[in-house]
Amino acid sequence: MKLLKLEIVTPNGVIFDAEAKQVTLPGSEGEFGVLPEHATLVSLLDTGVIVIDNPDNSQIAVAINSGYVKVDEEKTTCIVDGAVAISGKDSNLAKALEDAKALLKSAEASNTAIASAVSTIERIGKL
Amino acid sequence: MASLKEIKRKIGSVKNTQKTTRAMKLVSSAKLRRTEELAKRSRVYAQKLTEVLNEIARKMQQTNVDGIDNVFFKECETPKKIDIVFITADKGLCGGFNAQTIKRVNKLIAEYKAQDVKVRLRAVGRKGIDYFKFNNVELNNEIVGLSAAPDYQQAAEFISEVAESYVNGETDKIILVHNGYVNMITQEIRQDQLLPVDSSKLELNSVSTSELELEPDEDDTLLDALVKRYVEYTMYYSLIDSLAAEHSARMQAMDAATNNAKEMVKTLTVKYNKARQEAITTELIEIISGMESMK
Repeated sequence: MKLLKLEIVTPNGVIFDAEAKQVTLPGSEGEFGVLPEHATLVSLLDTGVIVIDNPDNSQIAVAINSGYVKVDEEKTTCIVDGAVAISGKDSNLAKALEDAKALLKSAEASNTAIASAVSTIERIGKL
Repeated sequence: MASLKEIKRKIGSVKNTQKTTRAMKLVSSAKLRRTEELAKRSRVYAQKLTEVLNEIARKMQQTNVDGIDNVFFKECETPKKIDIVFITADKGLCGGFNAQTIKRVNKLIAEYKAQDVKVRLRAVGRKGIDYFKFNNVELNNEIVGLSAAPDYQQAAEFISEVAESYVNGETDKIILVHNGYVNMITQEIRQDQLLPVDSSKLELNSVSTSELELEPDEDDTLLDALVKRYVEYTMYYSLIDSLAAEHSARMQAMDAATNNAKEMVKTLTVKYNKARQEAITTELIEIISGMESMK
């Protein structure tokens, strides 16, 4: 099975650099999913959650405030301002959830966007 | 010859200064390591951002015959008004670090004045502000505390104000001057053209892999947002770079100061010993001549 290379970069460094089966991104024109070998694309990202499907079928959610994504055949690069990663395996999950919520709230997005993002991270956090 | 007591006091004071400079050197080297780490991490982000900007600029150049038609890319042929943003430290005791930046800014001002271009200054860091205030040069904008602790939010606020005046046509060009970090012992003045984006720096000619899709697809929305981010980030990165350079400059200056103090203690000790010996000799002569006269 093909995998895509995913990289998430923030001003404070690379927070995610691994392979994934699929990634769902909060584009400014709507949410979209990227599978391996997606056509080249550059998109603005809105406040929301990046959902990463790991090769072992677990999921990771990364809450972001805003940024860009550049997709090409080889790899997907997300350039974001602020990000908090949440995965079910994390030991201090509660703190990560809090951080993610604070980040989303500080982004001045609409309430619905925040609510949907929060519900997504909570769902993945419970897995 | 200075009295024994006086020399002793002097040695004490030099030793104390040496203690201070040594401590400052240690503090600076610790801070430098941290700042270096920060710079290393944010360099990745800068690289990626420039990559995406490259990609989009290239696409736009391919679609438009007469180059890139965007306000942020259009080079003004005859600039009339220029903004210079420069970064200095808030504190001194770091050798020629601040002086170098100020010198370069002065040179730029002189150059543009000769071409009849109006120059506005925007200063970050207390040392630069103090200098230009003392010389009665008007500063358009000043900010203290940012160069000692770079903060993305604050840097973005500061620079977006500058960028706005560029969009409004109040200024034709924005130049950023700061003293950058090369390695532990070298700093280098960096002068970058912030806006319009220097298209000669972008690699427009590399071959793109496939047709690039943009979303939102009105090119300008994406590009405007991207350029804004690029400008903000360049500012932020320059602040970090400048901070690293400041620490390395201070480290060097303090190292030199410590060595000089060591030298000084050495010469003073020799002087002290000589003076002491002289005093002993004088005393001996007095005793001996006293005994001679009693005979």
